[in-house]
Amino acid sequence: MSQGVMSTGEGMRIFPDVEACIDCGGCVVACKRTWDREIQNQRIDITTMAEGVAGPQGENADKTGRLEAGENPGETSLPMQCYHCENAPCVSVCPTNALQKEDDGFVAVHEDLCVGCQYCLSGCPFGAPQFPDSDDGSAQIFGTGGIMDKCTGCRERQEVQKGPACAEECATDAILVGGAGEIADELEQRGSQPFFNDEAMEVIFGAEDAQLFQTDQQEQ
Amino acid sequence: MTNLDHGKFSRATTMFHSLLALTVFVLFFTGYAIAFNTELWWLVELMGGNEGVLSIHRAAGFSLIALTGFWVPYMLLRSSSRSNFRSVLPSPDDARAFLQDVKFALGWADERHPSARQFAGFKADEVPLLSYVGKGVIWIFTVELILLMISGLLIWRKTWLIDFYNSQSVAMAFVAFHGLLGIIMLMGVMFHTFEHGFHPAFYPVEMKAFLPKDMTPNFHGDPDEYETTGIERLRRKPSWRWATNVVAVLVVVGVVSVMMASLEYGGYPVPDTLAFGEGSVLRTIGINAGIFVLLLGLVLSMYGNVLRARYVSRRDQRATGAATDGGEPSETKRSSSEPRSDGGEVSGANRSTSDPRSDGGEVSETNRSAADHGSTDPNDD
Repeated sequence: MSQGVMSTGEGMRIFPDVEACIDCGGCVVACKRTWDREIQNQRIDITTMAEGVAGPQGENADKTGRLEAGENPGETSLPMQCYHCENAPCVSVCPTNALQKEDDGFVAVHEDLCVGCQYCLSGCPFGAPQFPDSDDGSAQIFGTGGIMDKCTGCRERQEVQKGPACAEECATDAILVGGAGEIADELEQRGSQPFFNDEAMEVIFGAEDAQLFQTDQQEQ
Repeated sequence: MTNLDHGKFSRATTMFHSLLALTVFVLFFTGYAIAFNTELWWLVELMGGNEGVLSIHRAAGFSLIALTGFWVPYMLLRSSSRSNFRSVLPSPDDARAFLQDVKFALGWADERHPSARQFAGFKADEVPLLSYVGKGVIWIFTVELILLMISGLLIWRKTWLIDFYNSQSVAMAFVAFHGLLGIIMLMGVMFHTFEHGFHPAFYPVEMKAFLPKDMTPNFHGDPDEYETTGIERLRRKPSWRWATNVVAVLVVVGVVSVMMASLEYGGYPVPDTLAFGEGSVLRTIGINAGIFVLLLGLVLSMYGNVLRARYVSRRDQRATGAATDGGEPSETKRSSSEPRSDGGEVSGANRSTSDPRSDGGEVSETNRSAADHGSTDPNDD
C-alpha cells in the first residue's frame, strides 16, 4: 500500500499534498485504467498554477509583477478531484438529491436522480463534477449536461482495504487518504501546509476537524 | 351596458394569452419539480421521472422566447396593436387611482377611484376598461418574464457562464436569482388565477380573455333596453361561494407558506446559502398548494378555450340556419335562440330573469339581493 494511504473505508478523507505533487499524471492514468473511463471523462485532473505568470483572462490576466521583479516564485500542482467533503456544497445545491453524503462519509452520485442541471458544477469549489455525456444527443441540444460523474473515492476498493487507485499509483504520495487526524499528522511530519484557506478546510473536513490543521499551522 | 360586456383582447392576443399560459405553466411545473424535488416528488413521477424534466423545462423556455420574439414585433409593427400598447402604458390617472384606493383601504377616502370601479355601476364609456390593477399585472408579469428569460438563458449552459466570468459564484448567483424570481412569480400567478377565475361576475373563467373582442357582443339584446349598467342582472353561480373560499384559502396558504418557508434559509428574501432538498412541512404545504392553484389555472385556461370553441360553433350554426331559410332569421327566432358567449342558449322567456353572462353562467335569484343592497362592486365583495 502507498505511503499516502493510511486508512481506508468509513470516515476516510482524500486530501492533496500540493508540495509533493509533480503533475506526472499518474493518478489520472490510474483512475482511467481502473474504472475504464472514456477519453472525455476525467474524474481526477491536475491543475498547475504558475505563480507570477499571467493568466489568459480574468483576475490573473495581468498579475506578473513578481516575475517582472526577477523573482522565481515557482509553481503549484493541485490534484483536483472529489474530496468527499464533510459539508459538501454539491450535496447542498443538488435540487434532486442525486448527490448524497453517505453514512460512511463518501459523497455518492445516484445516477437515476440526476437531471444534469449542473448546479453541482457551480457549487463545487474543487472542480470535481464532470459531465461526460454533455455532447450527446438531447443533452447537447438542451444543454442539460447529461448525468454527472465524479470521483467515487474508489469505494469498492476501500471496502476491501485497498487504497484509491490514484493514491496507490501516486509516485510521490501526494494524495493522502485516511482520517482527518492522520492526514493532519502526515502533513505536519512532512512539513507541508494545507493548500486551502480556512473556509475551504471547513468545507472539506467540517469546522471541528479543520481545527486540527489550524493548530498545526499555529504551532509552526 | 357594463364593462362586463366589453371585449378585452384582440384575436391574436387571446391566442397569445393561451399559448403564454401554456408555456408558463409547463415552465412552472417542470421548474418547481426540479427546485422542490423533495416536496413535489409526485409531480416528478407524473412527468415521467427526473429524466427529461430539465429538457422539457428548457424546451418550454425556448418556446416562450420564440413566442415573445414573435409577439413583441407584432405588437409594435401593427398600427392597431400599437394603440393597444399605448392603452396599457401607465398614466397619471392610474397613480391617482392607486393613491385613492390606498386611502380608501385605510378609511381616509369615501370611495374608490372611478377608474378602479368598472363593475360598480359605471357604464363602459365612463371608466377605463383597464384599471391600474390590470396594467400593473401586465407590467409586473412582463418584467418578471423578461428577467426569467434572461437569467434562464444565462444559467442554461453554466460552463459558458463560468468561463466568461471566470467565477463559479456568478452561475450560482443567477441560479438563486432565477429561483427567487420563480417564487415571486408563482405568487403572482396564483393571485392572477384567483382574481380572474373567481371574480363573482366571471366565475369560473373570464371569457374576455379567450373570446376576441370582435366576436364578443357588446349587448345581449336591445341596447336601448339598458338604461342602467346592467350590473344588477348579474347573479352568482351557486357553487361560487364555496369554490372561491377553497381557492382563496389555497392561495393564501400557498403564498404565506412559501414566504414563511423562505425564512428558514436565512437572509430573506435573498437566501444566505443556496440549499435545496432539505425538506420542510411548511414548504411542502405551500409549494403543493401553489402547484394545485397553477393546475387549476391551466384547467381553467383550457376550459376557456373549450367555451370559446363552443360559442363559435353555435354562432356558425346560427348563421348557417339563416342561410338555408333563404333570408334573415326573424326577430322572434333570434331572441329565442340568442347565443351565449359560451355557446349556450338563453330562451326568450328566461331573458328577463337570467341574463346571459359572458361565461354562460346563470345564477340564482337569491344572489340578486347582493346587487340590490348596494354591494355592486364585486371588488368590494
